[in-house]
Amino acid sequence: MIGRDTLSAANRFGLGARPGTLVQLDDPRGWLHAQVATRADAPRAALPTSADYLRQEYDYLRARRAARNGDGDAAMGFRERFARSQLQELGWRYRHAAATEHDFVERLVRFWSNHFAVSADKRTAALYAAPMEREAIRPHVAGDFADLLLAVEQHPAMLRYLDNVRSVGERSRLAQRQRRRMDAEAAPRAGLNENLAREILELHTLGVDGGYAQDDVRELARAITGWSVPLPRDLDAGASTTFQFRSNAHEAGVRQVLGRRYAAEGEAQGRAILRELAVHPATARHVCGKLARHFVSDAPPRTLVERMAEAWTRSGGALRSVYAAMIDSPDAWSPEARKLKTPDDFVVSALRSTGTSPGETPRALVGLLGRLGQPPFTPRSPAGFADDAAEWSGADAVWKRIQAAQSLAETATAEPDALRTAEQVFGPLLDGDTALALRRAESPREGLALLFASPAFQWRS
Amino acid sequence: MKLTRRHFLAAGGAATTLSLWPRLARAADAQDTRLVVVLLRGGLDGLHVVTPVGDPDFARLRGSLRVEGARALDADFALHPALAFSHALYARREWLPVLAVAPPYRLRSHFEAQDNLESGTPVGGGTANGWLNRCVASLPASRALSVSTVMPLILRGAGDATTWSPPLPEDVNPILLQRLQSLYAADAHLAHPFEQAVAAQGMQAGGNVARLPQAMAAAARFMAAPEGPRVGFAENTGWDTHAQQGPVLARKLAELDQGLRQFHDGIGPAWSRTVVMVVTEFGRTAAVNGTGGTDHGTGTLAMLAGGAVAGGRIAGDWPGLAHAQLNEGRDLRATTDLRSVFKGVVGDHLGIAASTLEARVFPDSHGAATMRGLLRG
Repeated sequence: MIGRDTLSAANRFGLGARPGTLVQLDDPRGWLHAQVATRADAPRAALPTSADYLRQEYDYLRARRAARNGDGDAAMGFRERFARSQLQELGWRYRHAAATEHDFVERLVRFWSNHFAVSADKRTAALYAAPMEREAIRPHVAGDFADLLLAVEQHPAMLRYLDNVRSVGERSRLAQRQRRRMDAEAAPRAGLNENLAREILELHTLGVDGGYAQDDVRELARAITGWSVPLPRDLDAGASTTFQFRSNAHEAGVRQVLGRRYAAEGEAQGRAILRELAVHPATARHVCGKLARHFVSDAPPRTLVERMAEAWTRSGGALRSVYAAMIDSPDAWSPEARKLKTPDDFVVSALRSTGTSPGETPRALVGLLGRLGQPPFTPRSPAGFADDAAEWSGADAVWKRIQAAQSLAETATAEPDALRTAEQVFGPLLDGDTALALRRAESPREGLALLFASPAFQWRS
Repeated sequence: MKLTRRHFLAAGGAATTLSLWPRLARAADAQDTRLVVVLLRGGLDGLHVVTPVGDPDFARLRGSLRVEGARALDADFALHPALAFSHALYARREWLPVLAVAPPYRLRSHFEAQDNLESGTPVGGGTANGWLNRCVASLPASRALSVSTVMPLILRGAGDATTWSPPLPEDVNPILLQRLQSLYAADAHLAHPFEQAVAAQGMQAGGNVARLPQAMAAAARFMAAPEGPRVGFAENTGWDTHAQQGPVLARKLAELDQGLRQFHDGIGPAWSRTVVMVVTEFGRTAAVNGTGGTDHGTGTLAMLAGGAVAGGRIAGDWPGLAHAQLNEGRDLRATTDLRSVFKGVVGDHLGIAASTLEARVFPDSHGAATMRGLLRG
């Protein structure tokens, strides 16, 4: 029997019902549990790895240097290839989102991708943003938060986006050598960059009210000096990972973060601090608050967040337990629980509702998401895209959605039948007014546009 | 009353006799002709376009919905003022309305009526391919272009047809907006931004690029090329005017008129060998309804434009608007099967033999005799 919980599982916890989803989903909670119970089986993409991209990038830089020396314009081909690669990454991501039957997991992947936001606006990070989701987030989406955190903070996308690749300890060997080489008056060439450390504390773990001070930011920044990306010479020397610890840029010595001493040396020091941060109560509260806000409502019940945070603390940040606490909480299924779809949710749920798959290189789709204010992997800040109705329900946003509804209806591949599609999405809870409007549509495609533009379709209920 | 059936029938018959001979001569250069079909989805109210001002029942039925400032076509009919370019074409004898037409399907479902119009079959004889595609398949080395994202039924089939659409159209179908109005009003959170959005759009009217002119300009661009497609198709929604028909159709008809102008300007010298055929799935109720609009009806009009059209007059068989003359007492009767108009255009204009036309393009259409005199001899 298709009840409200069924719809919530498919449309609020999942990415939106596909044709046939609702009738197969007879145990909503069980359906969600099952998706995160098994070891996350990250879907394989026939796409290059970040290591491949790094090699291509360095080839490009060499070619560009050669071109400057009068060796022609070999660089052009590379630049086009990078643009094509990024589109292919997005093509795979949206095809998978449109088709997957494990869409609770997929929503979680997207949640974490936005939690650990990287923006393609930063040119040096652009090529690695989508691979970070595949390589760092997917494998750990139902694992331990500490592993997820480490995988992300050591990924080239994050290391470059938040400038850690340029961060050099003030008393590191590299800084000392630079100082020796330069005039006494000249400012030091490289120094500590706090950017990543600050965002780790403020956005990724404790939260802005998590009880850290400026000293903690600097100490963490020092601890992760040397966390970097392989250079061409590292690759030539046989480096096969995309993380490279540069001991000569690392600030040696004992660090103190949140009142705790970290004496470990080298890379292990930063890792130890991140592992502590991952299980800190403030982190549990902050991240569980965000999860609950994403899945339940803009102002989630306190009891729900507490219950999830408790599971976090009890399990040492085992995300599966945290998700389970949410699924098993009655608060997550109350009639007040609903979210306004973000533009990305809106587009993906429209594709899913008709079983439409975006193409290999979804230029139009990416353009559409951009116009709706949510260009993939391009948030305006490290805080990611907003996750509340106020942000996405302005007059212009509503208008653009109606325009987008028309575009989406035009490109839906299936023979359009708006009423049937609406029933596949809303089941017996399709409201009478919307149903009546769909029945009266001017043409099947216009009916579909009306469905996508209808207020009912804007909500994850 | 001046309007009579006979008046129109006689005009059609005369044209037939006169044009028999020259038409044969034209077969040789038939390769160069161009045909564009424009489908207005939603059911255009023909009575609002070519208004039968000479019909004694018209004013009574329409009341508040009467069209102000219509331009005279003849003593009995006047054209909506938004169709200024069409009126100029009419003066050049390149614009021809065909009144009281409908596809053979006579129930009032948009989808079924559109399918029927596009498949070109009798009622219940739906096909998986469309009549315009069958035209293309009957012609040697011809191609068709649909300005749409998805291939419409009318052009589906074995004939060589392709689609093209302008990237990301901007305008919003006013009918869609009208329907959304009541739905959004019931959503506490979204009602206000929706109202604001609609108001803001009203203030910058014309700021959006309308789709139909854009589509027609694109069709002309492709079809102007010597090796370009001979057959084109464009479609448009927003014609289902259950409410506020006056302002909605003023805007939509201006869009249609602009589309016609775009095509005329874009196709260049080939305009003289062009027929643009504007059709819709059904007409609307003769009387205005309670919301300033009209509901689904039957008979409506088709509009032909182009240098190859024998225009500057009114074609069709006017059935009248008196209660007894109306279909089921509510809407304009269709006195001409739309397939008769199609056959009257495509056979001679594209150079498809009558036997092929009957056997392959419009099977089982003996009941819908080819309408004569639509083209210049």
